[in-house]
Order: sequence, then C-alpha cells, then structure tokens
Amino acid sequence: MKYLLLYSLLTFFLFAEVNVGDKAPNFTLKTLDGKQIHTMQEFKGKVVLLNLWASWCKGCKKEMPEFITLQKQNTKDFKLVAVSLDDSKDKASHFLSTLKQKIPFTVLHDSKKHLAKAYSCSAMPSSYLIDKNGVIQQILIGSLNHNDIKVLQEKINALKKKEKR
Amino acid sequence: MKKLLSFILVFLLIVGCSEILTRVKPYEKEHFADPKMTLNILEGRTEHEGHIFLIREASAGGDSTFQGGCGCR
Repeated sequence: MKYLLLYSLLTFFLFAEVNVGDKAPNFTLKTLDGKQIHTMQEFKGKVVLLNLWASWCKGCKKEMPEFITLQKQNTKDFKLVAVSLDDSKDKASHFLSTLKQKIPFTVLHDSKKHLAKAYSCSAMPSSYLIDKNGVIQQILIGSLNHNDIKVLQEKINALKKKEKR
Repeated sequence: MKKLLSFILVFLLIVGCSEILTRVKPYEKEHFADPKMTLNILEGRTEHEGHIFLIREASAGGDSTFQGGCGCR
C-alpha cells in the first residue's frame, strides 16, 4: 500500500499539467538581444497573453501580425509576451525582421525550453491568457486568426475590468 | 532496502517507457521542420528530371500513380 501511494505520487508529478485556474508558472528570461531580463512577477497587475512561438512554425508566422495589432490596440493594462523557443536567437530575430513591422510587445528567448515544459505546451503555437493576479484564464492552442483575436479581445476587456486582489 | 530498490527499478522501467517521456514534444520539432527533412529533397528538380527522362528514354506515362501508362485512355 505504501509503495502504491508512492508510485501514485511520483506519477502525479510526472504527468502534472498546467490548467485553467492554476497559478501561471514563474519565469526569468532574457530578451532576444540579451540586454534585458524579464520575470513573470513584473507583469502582475496586468492582463498577460503569453505566446510560445518558434521561427520554424508556420502557424506562428500567420498569427504574429494579429498579435502586433492586438498589442497596439491594448496599450493599457495589457502585455503580450512572446517567447521564442528557437535554438538560435538569430533565427528568431530573422523571423521577426521578415514581418517588416516594429514589434510593440516583449519578445523573450527560451532556447532550453524550460518555459514550454513548465507550461506543458501541447502544440505550437500556444498562448496563455493570464489575469491580473497571475492566474491562467484561458489556454489557446494553435494559430489564432482574426476572428479568434476578436473573441480574445472581449475576454481581455473583461479581465481588464476585474480588480486585482 | 532491497524492496525499495526493486520498486524504484520497476518504477523507472514502467515510467521510462511511457509516452510522455518518449514522445517528441511539439516545441522540440525544430529539426523535423527543417526543409532538408522533407522526403523528396529534390522536389524543385522533379519536373526537370521528368523532362530529361522523357527526352532520353523517348517514353511517356507510368511516372505517376494516375493511370497505369498502358495507353488505353
């Protein structure tokens, strides 16, 4: 019985996943240029859309212009944090330069994929909508199109109105 | 102690083969997504190769899965 409990406990930790309602796992990551370090803590008090992307992922390329518009439309109480999971920073930088637009959101780099593991990323791209208290409110799997962003905007507006506890 | 060790061994054997550990995660597919990983790396040259084959071998048909090249169509 003791071993059975131990086995169950170990298996639980191995298969533990991040779900809606869970506290967003913390991170400390550098920007693409390596000059700044950002943590999850500093975004507390803001609605955050954490996007996991990579330059080799076609869906990520498709949704990026939508994210630029989303951040431009939400300058107050909202932060889009895009985390590149590319092995090389250069590939990610090249990818962003092909968009030929100024990137208004924070772009971080996680070559070791710690963040993807912590958020149990199940598809590329994946986005996590986090409220002002750092709680995951929605997990968006796959590329987001214009209509998805419209729905997401409504959700962001509702979360912005909620007071921080 | 022996029991605990055997438990750990069995645990590692069972969990080590679990799909969650052996599966390539979506964020680990960078090298799979590389263009050089496509099955036909000379895809761009296929049409050209077909043209050369047609001229040199003076033959047509049978190079696709559509129809059998029997000339009955």
